[in-house]
Amino acid sequence: MLAALRVLPFLVQLHMRATMEYRGAMILGWIAMAFSYASVYTAIALIVLRFENIGGWVWSEMALLLSFHLLGYSLGAAFSFVQFRQLEDIVRLGTFDTLMVKPISPWAYLAFSGFNIGYAGHITLALPLMTWALTQADVGWNPTLVLYLVGALVSSALITAAIITSIGASALVWVRSRHLYSIYFGFWELARYPLNIFPGIIQAIMVTVMPLAFMSYVPAAVLLDKEVPLLGPAAAPLALAAGPIATILAMLYWRWCIRNYQGAGG
Amino acid sequence: MYAAFAANAFQTRLAYRNQAWSSFFGQLIQVFARIAIWMAVYAGVASVDGITLADMITYAILATAVMGVWDHALLMRDLDVAIKTGDVAVFLLKPLHYPLYLFAAHCGNLAFNTLAVVLPVTLIIGVTYGIQPPASAMHGASFLGFWALSFAIYFLLAMTCGLLAFWLMTAHSLEWFLTGIMALFSGSILPLWFFPPALAAVAQYLPFAWVAYYPTAVYLGKLEPAETGLILAIGLGWAAVLAAGVGLLWSRARHRIVVQGG
Amino acid sequence: MSEIIVADGVTKRFRQPKRYSGLAGAIKGLISREFTEVRAVEDISFTIRAGEAVGYLGPNGAGKSTMIKMMTGILVPTGGALSVLGRTPHEERMVNAREIGVVFGQRSQLWWDLPVHDSFELHRRIYDVPEARYRENLAHLTRMLGMESYLDRAVRQLSLGQRMRAEMAMALLHDPRILFLDEPTIGLDVVAKDAVRKFLTEVNRERGVTIILTTHDLQDIEEICPRLIMVDDGKLLFDGELKRLRTALGARRRLKLDFATDPGPVSLTSARLVSDEGASKHFLIENEETSLVDVLAELGGGHGLKDVSLEEPDIEEVIRTFYQQRPALVPQ
Repeated sequence: MLAALRVLPFLVQLHMRATMEYRGAMILGWIAMAFSYASVYTAIALIVLRFENIGGWVWSEMALLLSFHLLGYSLGAAFSFVQFRQLEDIVRLGTFDTLMVKPISPWAYLAFSGFNIGYAGHITLALPLMTWALTQADVGWNPTLVLYLVGALVSSALITAAIITSIGASALVWVRSRHLYSIYFGFWELARYPLNIFPGIIQAIMVTVMPLAFMSYVPAAVLLDKEVPLLGPAAAPLALAAGPIATILAMLYWRWCIRNYQGAGG
Repeated sequence: MYAAFAANAFQTRLAYRNQAWSSFFGQLIQVFARIAIWMAVYAGVASVDGITLADMITYAILATAVMGVWDHALLMRDLDVAIKTGDVAVFLLKPLHYPLYLFAAHCGNLAFNTLAVVLPVTLIIGVTYGIQPPASAMHGASFLGFWALSFAIYFLLAMTCGLLAFWLMTAHSLEWFLTGIMALFSGSILPLWFFPPALAAVAQYLPFAWVAYYPTAVYLGKLEPAETGLILAIGLGWAAVLAAGVGLLWSRARHRIVVQGG
Repeated sequence: MSEIIVADGVTKRFRQPKRYSGLAGAIKGLISREFTEVRAVEDISFTIRAGEAVGYLGPNGAGKSTMIKMMTGILVPTGGALSVLGRTPHEERMVNAREIGVVFGQRSQLWWDLPVHDSFELHRRIYDVPEARYRENLAHLTRMLGMESYLDRAVRQLSLGQRMRAEMAMALLHDPRILFLDEPTIGLDVVAKDAVRKFLTEVNRERGVTIILTTHDLQDIEEICPRLIMVDDGKLLFDGELKRLRTALGARRRLKLDFATDPGPVSLTSARLVSDEGASKHFLIENEETSLVDVLAELGGGHGLKDVSLEEPDIEEVIRTFYQQRPALVPQ
C-alpha cells in the first residue's frame, strides 16, 4: 500500500509531463470531444423536446441521465480506456513483457502511467449539465442522497474501468481484443436512454452480463424516484454494489489472463 | 489497378473475423437503440407531422445501418498512420494518385461492410420490426443514386479532415469534430423534418445532410419529385466542391512532403 | 558457487489459430476454430551457477526469448520445473523481479518523451532502492558508461547506443543478482557494440552479477560469455565452453607465412597448404595440439621468413560447422 503511494502518483506525474509535450493537440482534443458529445446531446434534446418525453423522462431528467453517463464513464475511462484499448499493441510489440519483469502490478502500472487527462473536456461538459439537471429535476435532497450520488458515481466509474480492463485483458490470451470494444460501445450507447424503452431481453443483459444500466440509468432513476424495471426496490443498493462486484470479477479475470499470457511470439 | 486495391482492402478486412463479428453486433445494437427510442416517443401516437412510426423505423434502419457504416474514423486513421510513419512519401514514388488509391481501398471496405454488416443487420431488423419498401420504383432508383452520392460526400469530408491533419498534426481532434457534426447535421439520429425550423433552414443546405437525411427521405418519398432533382444537383455540387478541396489540399500536402520531407 | 538457475525438462507450447490462404481460406477463417500447436521450448535442462556469464544462442524462432521469458516469470512453462534463485519465477513473479534485471534490446523501458533521469527515478521507486544506495549506483554506472552528458536529455533525442547504455544502467540500479539480456547489441554500430560488451564483461567480473544473454551476434558470446548454450527448434544442442565446442568440432586455425622472396614449394606435416601466392603461403592447422613453435621448428631456417600470422577460427565458422554437423553431434 505504502509502495503504491510512492510509485503511482509519480507515474501520473510522469505521464502528465510527457503529455505536456503535446499540449496544443490535447487542448484541441478536449474541445473536439466536448463538441462531439454536445452535438449528440443536442440531437437527443431535440427529440425529447419535440415529443415531450422518452419513456416518461423529460429533458431535464434526460440531462441528468446523460450527464451521469458521461461523468461516470470519463472517470472510469481516464484510468482505463486508452491504456487498455492499446493493450493488444502493447502485447504485440512486446512492451507488456517489460511490465511483467517489474515488481509492480502491470494493471496498476498501465492504468496510472496512462492516466488520461484527455477526459477534461468530457468532465467540463458533464458537470454543468448535471448541476443544471439537478436544479431542474424534482429531487428530495438530504445528506444520504448526496452521499448516494457520490457513491453511485464511483460505482459507475468502477463498472466502466472493470469492463474496459476485462476487454483489454483478453488481448493477453487471444492477441486481439480491440474489436470487442464495439460491442461494449453498442451497449454503452443504450445506457444513455431510460432502460424501460428497451425490450426485456436487452434490459436483462444490461443488468447482468453487460451491467451498464448501473452506470447511469439506475442511479438517475433512484435520484429521481422513478420505478426501475426488473429490479424494483433493490435498484438503489444494487447500483452501489455493481461497481465493486464488477471490479472483483475483473480482477479475477485479469489474473487468469496474466497466468495464460502467451507473450509476443518468438 | 484501383480495383485491385479495393479487392485487397476487402480481403484484409476478411482476415479479421472477430472484428467483423463485433462490428456486426455493435451496429445491430445501435439500430435497436434508435428504433427503441422511436417506439417510445411514438407510444400512443399514430403520426407526427405526417410521419408514422413505421416511417421512423425504416428511417432508423437506413440512416443508422445503411449509411451508418461509413466509417470516417477508419479512413482518417489510415491517413494519420501514413502521415506519421512517413509511408505517404512512398506513395509519391508510385504512379498513382494517393486520394484515388484511398478511395479505391475504401470502396473495398464499403463492399465488405455491406456484406458483413449492412445486409445482415437490415435483414434481422427488417424481419423483426418491418421495413417499408421504397415509396415507388422511381424513389427506389433515386435512393441508389443518393446512396452512392452519400458515400462519395462522406469520403470527401473524411478526406478533407484527414488531409488537414498535415497542418494541425492531430487527426484525433478532427475525427471527433467530424463525428460530432455528423451526429447532428447528417440527420442520422434525428431527421431534419423534426428539427426546429431555424436550424433546419441552415442544415438542409450543408453537405452533411446528403450523407444520411436526403437518401432516406428520398427512399420514403418525403421529398417532392421536382425538389428531388434540385437536391440531387446541389448534392453533386457539394461533391464537386469537396473534391476540388481535396485535390487542392492534396497538392499542397504533396508539396509539403517534397519540400520538407514530411 | 551455488546453482542459481535450474531448468529441468522445461517445455513451452503455444496454441495458434490456424490460418488459411486465399479468399476462400479467409472466409473459412471467419468461422474456423482450429489451432496448431507450436513447440517453442522442448525438454530443456541446464543449471547456471552464481557469477557465470552464459550466452544463449540459436537461430530465429529457436525458442531463445521464450526461455528468457520463463526465467523472468513472464511466461508459465507448459511442463518441467524451473527454479530461479530458489523460486518458481511465475509463481513469485514480483519477488523474483526485485532480484533480477532485464534488458530487451528491441523494447525500450525508458520514457520516450522524458529525460533519462525520470525513468531512473521511477525505477528507484518501483524497486524501492534506498536513496543512498541509488545515488551510489547511479554515480558508478554513469561513470562506467559515460552517460554524464545525456542524463538530462529526453530519451527520444538519444542515439540507439546511448539508449542501450541507459537501459543497461537502469536494469542494474537495484543491484540485481542476475541480469537477463535479450539481444542487447541488436542494431548497434560497431563502437556501441564494443562499449556494451566491455561493460557487461566488467559487470560480470567485478560486480559478480550473473549474466544470461541471447544474441545473434557470436562476437557477443566470444567476448562476454565463457559458456555457451545452443538451441535450435526448441531443443538443446550444446551446453559448455566455447573452447570445448571448437575442440569438439576440430576447428581449424589459419596460418599465413610471408617470405622475403618466393622460396618455392613448401610442404609441412603439421599444416596443410591451402593456397600458394609465391612469397605468401596460407596453411590450415587441423590438429588442436599443434603449436606455432611446432610448425616453425618443422619449417626450419633458411627460407627468408619475414612474417607469421596465426588466426583463431572464426566463431561464425565454428557455429556454421556445428549446425551442419548437427545430426551426428547430439550432446552427452
